[in-house]
Amino acid sequence: MNTVAEPNYDLLAEQLNEIQSTTMAKVGEQDANYIRRVIVTQRILEWSGRILLVLGFVSPWLWLVGVLALATAKILDNMEIGHNVMHGQYDWMNDKHINSKAYEWDIACDGKSWNRVHNFEHHTYTNIIGKDRDFGYGLLRLSNDFRWRVKNLWQFITYLNLSVLFQWGVSYHELAAERVFFGKKKDNRDYKVPHSELKTRFFSKGARQLIKDYLIFPLLAGPFFLWVLVGNLIANLLRNLWTSTIIFCGHFTGDVKTFSEKECENETKGQWYYRQALGSSNIKGGKWFHILTGHLSFQIEHHLFPDMPAKRYREIAPKVQKVFREHGIQYNTGSFFKQYGSVVKRILRYSLP
Amino acid sequence: MAGYFEPVIQIFKPSWRDGYYRANVQSVTYIANKTVSIELKVESRWPTHKAGQHIELTIEINGRLVTRVFTIASSPNQAMHEGVIRLVIKQHDVGAFTPFLSRLTVNSWVNISKPKGTFLLPQSNAVTFFAAGSGITPFIAMLHQALHDEIPPIHLVYYAKPNEHLLVAELASLRNRLANFTFTLLSRSTDGDVAAKLPEFIGSQWLVCGPQDFYKTIKNYADTHQQSIESEHFSLVDLHTQGDEKAHFQVDHGGIKFTADNQQPLLAQFQANKINVPYGCGMGICHQCQCVKKKGVVRDIRNGKLSDYGEELIQLCVSQVVSDVEFKA
Ligand code: FES
Repeated sequence: MNTVAEPNYDLLAEQLNEIQSTTMAKVGEQDANYIRRVIVTQRILEWSGRILLVLGFVSPWLWLVGVLALATAKILDNMEIGHNVMHGQYDWMNDKHINSKAYEWDIACDGKSWNRVHNFEHHTYTNIIGKDRDFGYGLLRLSNDFRWRVKNLWQFITYLNLSVLFQWGVSYHELAAERVFFGKKKDNRDYKVPHSELKTRFFSKGARQLIKDYLIFPLLAGPFFLWVLVGNLIANLLRNLWTSTIIFCGHFTGDVKTFSEKECENETKGQWYYRQALGSSNIKGGKWFHILTGHLSFQIEHHLFPDMPAKRYREIAPKVQKVFREHGIQYNTGSFFKQYGSVVKRILRYSLP
Repeated sequence: MAGYFEPVIQIFKPSWRDGYYRANVQSVTYIANKTVSIELKVESRWPTHKAGQHIELTIEINGRLVTRVFTIASSPNQAMHEGVIRLVIKQHDVGAFTPFLSRLTVNSWVNISKPKGTFLLPQSNAVTFFAAGSGITPFIAMLHQALHDEIPPIHLVYYAKPNEHLLVAELASLRNRLANFTFTLLSRSTDGDVAAKLPEFIGSQWLVCGPQDFYKTIKNYADTHQQSIESEHFSLVDLHTQGDEKAHFQVDHGGIKFTADNQQPLLAQFQANKINVPYGCGMGICHQCQCVKKKGVVRDIRNGKLSDYGEELIQLCVSQVVSDVEFKA
């Protein structure tokens, strides 16, 4: 690690643990009601969106509103609900449906496989090169830890493609991580879920999404088949662009550090916190912006406490920032445009050797 | 699909939950010190119970659904005609459930399961009920139902602390209305242990409901005297919360059983016993090692917090057993 003075890790761990336990003690009814409200909003947006798509024949404006409503619904489902519920943030509610085991989201990617790669590999081994495959998704070169290849020259275009197809990228990525499709199996990994099953899940969840958005709903609309099909296509596209942008801003801004496996051997909790802190960046914004990002605009807090109900990140952020300041740890935050600009720069910078 | 719409339906029907029945709180009354009687109006699709059966009662406590099992203390006849059932519950000073019952307000909603259990009034020549404390509830249900059915002669032996017998007036009124029902109220401090009373009742069919010790005494006697016996006993979970002293407990993972100690995390002990469960980080972050605990208590290694008794998700890598535990495979 290349920072000047190392923080006092034990003190850091103690302070952050303290923030966690005082906040978790407050978690209760308010949070349960909140997530149910978000789910209700999502369901209303989704179904009014789907109905408005069909009403496109009355006025194209209705169709447009429908597309936006549906896109927002998908974003809420994937970010504030799906991502956070699958992190186990609401498991304490003991609800049969709102928990990390049962929830399934509206995206091509199978919840269970995502859960495994994301929660385990990405959150445990954040930005450890070779272990966190989310770093660059195996497609982009984002640090000097990777050898430059000619294909990196046009990686900005690859990035744009990845954004457009983000849901499929994420879905495929999990399987690539497990080397389901080709190539050498990594040793000393337990294959908890058999490959055949992962493969079936990829195809069945993916197929279900395709059939739902591009066949069943359009067919239900009868003569307005195309209105609905195109509407769904655009809604999915908007969702993909939004989610990929937010996620890139959270992990690949210019300042985000990477780590080697060596550095992280026998890590203490304090060192783990430290790595999480340097591996993430926040985006400033208003209440609705945060909700639509699933509070991933508080990527730092999310990485420190992945199973704390995400809305709480808003209230703990100032405390976390204060602790970081005490230890001289950089708290990487900025406006959306600043952070996004920094991501673009990073992708372009590492296009070249 | 029902789960998908559940929060929306709940706007119109509070506490509507997929897989549960809804019940409306009609009254909450204290019938004795720390003993609360709750009347619930059940929805019409609820399958009526048989006298002696129990239900799972689920209430939302600070955003969290908590479930406990209680015997219904009212007759099927009343449930059928008025749609009302009654629970008589002893409150504990501490605990994650019963202290909260006094907060239930009239007209609020709770969830119940379908009626369960096989502790029923047998067809027999003569029956003796042995009840202790709040173990009186199934017998109350049976006796109320007896007002409508043919019954054998019944005698009730009811143990409780002096002057703490529950529903005594109700028992007296039942005795007046039922030709072949009698009862005696006893206390260990004044009347001695139940063991001494038993020989008198040899030959009738015995039904026992009460705490573990009470049941054991009667059961031992019955076994040595070829006496037939049915029982419903509440075994308090045997907790062992002093972490430093090593203790062993039974773990049941979908039928596969092994012994675990209270020192190591459960995940390691699952692996040592060659039970394959998914896991990841091993430090409580990734939730891959999550399992559905059906019953029993575990301790969270990170903060020493004890879990609830009932069904919930727990993370194996940061949990130690402090009682016998059962998991869904
Ligand atoms: S293995 Fe990661 S939370 Fe238990």
